[in-house]
Amino acid sequence: MVRIVLPAGWTQGHRTEFTGTEGLLPDVIRTFVTDNPEFRHRLIGPNDQLLTYINLCIDEDLIPRHLRNDSVVGQDCTVTVIAPMAGG
Amino acid sequence: MGDMQWIPGGTFLQGSPSWVLDWLDGEEHQTLPRVWFGDETPTVRRTVEPFWLDRHLVTRADFAAFVAATGHRTDAEQIGFGMVYGEGGWEEIPGACWHAPGGAGTSIDGSADHPVVHVSYQDATAYAAWAGKRLPTESEWEFAASGPRFRIWPWGDDWQQALANTAEFHAGPLASLQAWKQWWSAACRQDGPMPRTTPVGQFSPEGDSGYGCADLAGNVYEWTASLSELYDDSAAVDPTVRTAVGRYRVIRGGSWMNFRYQVRCSERMHGDPSGWSSFAHGFRCAKDS
Repeated sequence: MVRIVLPAGWTQGHRTEFTGTEGLLPDVIRTFVTDNPEFRHRLIGPNDQLLTYINLCIDEDLIPRHLRNDSVVGQDCTVTVIAPMAGG
Repeated sequence: MGDMQWIPGGTFLQGSPSWVLDWLDGEEHQTLPRVWFGDETPTVRRTVEPFWLDRHLVTRADFAAFVAATGHRTDAEQIGFGMVYGEGGWEEIPGACWHAPGGAGTSIDGSADHPVVHVSYQDATAYAAWAGKRLPTESEWEFAASGPRFRIWPWGDDWQQALANTAEFHAGPLASLQAWKQWWSAACRQDGPMPRTTPVGQFSPEGDSGYGCADLAGNVYEWTASLSELYDDSAAVDPTVRTAVGRYRVIRGGSWMNFRYQVRCSERMHGDPSGWSSFAHGFRCAKDS
């Protein structure tokens, strides 16, 4: 099962870890926001594409923006969403 | 390019003692979780050498002089958009940049003495080099804000709404995130999503730090030179902050968007240095003694 980790500030300290399904990174995120629509505006733009400014890590690897569409999230991977301004 | 203040240097405990997190936890109107502030702890002993720090944030006039002299094009100008917080949250607004802070069609007319915004880490670094200066380190910034002994805000430990450009300065005391959203929605309907910056030094001298630096609390977020790190790997911190460690640069001071709790001297944020900027981000410069 894929783990998806969000900033604690997005949830006011409630749950920050969610589960998702494996697949291409954009599809993993789209499926996640379908299941959790309260986060859609933080992750997906009006054109249904991943927002440019967020950063996404698969396990320990920060995925360059130009490689997002081709990056595969395997089962047991962790996707961490990092806002352009983290913490605080 | 304005005055610089002499900061004598010294050894101090950087960060927040644990009672600060207890206090934040107990504040009725503080909406963020304890783990959000965990990167401020534990305190760590740091020594800073004497240095100079800009008394004021870099202004739009300062930045215009830099652009005129060098032809510099900011990252926001090159990628074609800047980050603006609209009624629904952060948006990538076409044309938003340092001279059009609310997006295409907006301007900075009449606000030359406000801090420049929409500057990325690279933009700030380029300006500093041109000015014969550099960005302050995180330790230098905090020492300049708090002095050798811990204090919550640059002027002391008692919150003074009239001494810093925060959301509370504009809206009055805010009791919840919802109240913040209502204020911001009303502001957007009135003037559009324009940054609510104020002229640098507007809150001087009462709002200055003990070393005479203005706007260290609020107005705009400030880039520092420091790569993000944890004070202690065992600290309980937001998991995404832990992932940003070693990748992001430390941002200090909070901004006009924030509540009082985010403009404290020991408050830390971490910014993506790969070209990102927003309508609430600026900087000031430092110089070796």
